[in-house]
Amino acid sequence: MSRSLRFIALATLFCSGSAWAEESSCSSPSPECAVVGRWEISASFGVGQRSNPVENRSNTPLYVIPRISYYGKRVFLENLDFGFTLHEDDRNTISVLATPGYDRAFFFRSDLQNIFVAGGTALPTGAFVPTQGQEFEVSERHTTYLVGPEWTFGYGWLAGQLNALREVTGRHEGYEVRGALSAPLLQSKGSLTASAGFTWKSAEVVRYYYGVRGLYEPGAAFNPFVKVRYSLPVSDRWSVNAFAQYERLGSGIAESPVITEDHVTTFFVGVAFRVY
Amino acid sequence: MFIERGPKAGWIGLFAGLLFVVAGVASAAADGRPEGIKLELSPRVCTLASQDESCDTEVTAHWRAPNDESLCLLIVDQPQVKRCWENHSEGVYTVRLVFNRDLLVELRDPQLERVLASEAISVIREALRLRRKRRQPWDILS
Repeated sequence: MSRSLRFIALATLFCSGSAWAEESSCSSPSPECAVVGRWEISASFGVGQRSNPVENRSNTPLYVIPRISYYGKRVFLENLDFGFTLHEDDRNTISVLATPGYDRAFFFRSDLQNIFVAGGTALPTGAFVPTQGQEFEVSERHTTYLVGPEWTFGYGWLAGQLNALREVTGRHEGYEVRGALSAPLLQSKGSLTASAGFTWKSAEVVRYYYGVRGLYEPGAAFNPFVKVRYSLPVSDRWSVNAFAQYERLGSGIAESPVITEDHVTTFFVGVAFRVY
Repeated sequence: MFIERGPKAGWIGLFAGLLFVVAGVASAAADGRPEGIKLELSPRVCTLASQDESCDTEVTAHWRAPNDESLCLLIVDQPQVKRCWENHSEGVYTVRLVFNRDLLVELRDPQLERVLASEAISVIREALRLRRKRRQPWDILS
């Protein structure tokens, strides 16, 4: 069993333990609880940036980050993610999720994922010229969607998310496993939360985005990340938010000839306003 | 199983019934309330959606009495509403009202001392249905 698969198995085993405090259910609208049938629209205004590990690509500035969500009795929409909830109790939620492949975000600056910012890494496009001077064609990268089961859970102070996804838009038919755990480090008027997680991308995904035909045919990649986030509610509608994330690129991506850095860093400091 | 009751049990039942009726009439006579005044309200309930603050609706009160009566219609906590009738056996009153809790409509004697009949319009708030948002530690903003 590879190191990355062992990590996934261990994380699943760790999270499925039952020796955690009981999670309370929703009794009033809050940042954790949505009113069924009501849209929520908010926007964060501030200063931030996501680095771009791809050669000759500039970093993505973050000034305005909108957020739209809707929760029905079973269906939900969170920015570009949408899905159907099969089972929900106080601790666990099992859903079928449709979510975009995030790698395209650096390909087109106008990509929706550069507006509705989420996790993920960059990709190159066009012709790639290696240091030797020989030119290789880099395939077109299209918008992709992945579908699969999602398990989210909360056991006491620990929250987790595990997705097993397959590309369904007919571009590369690869797989992704996304998982993360978060826990509050500080919780008074504001809250400081630390998260750690990973994205495992199958060889098909990595080749589609980071491969160079005839030159570089990578295998699967495992990207771990750590993140800290601070949020301070100022009023019913306003809050101060800051976050920083460091994502290490798996060797299948980092060793690609189109990649110049083996990590992606993202940070943002600003205020969030709940419009509706 | 069929239990046949004897004639003695039937007489006891009849006596108890008569006693109950006589006690009721005596009670009404003692507090001076005219018998048989009926008050009906429309609507019977007002349902508030989750985004509604209060009911804003037309309320109709319709009363009937077996004999001519002199009485006034009042609404608790709505002092602007007062409508009186003299020697009528029936009356209808319609008014537009804004209210956010149960509305109590009363028929009182002209001196407004005794309540002759009363009915309420119940305010029912549609319960907010909540569900837990997705926990998304993988998401960069969560």
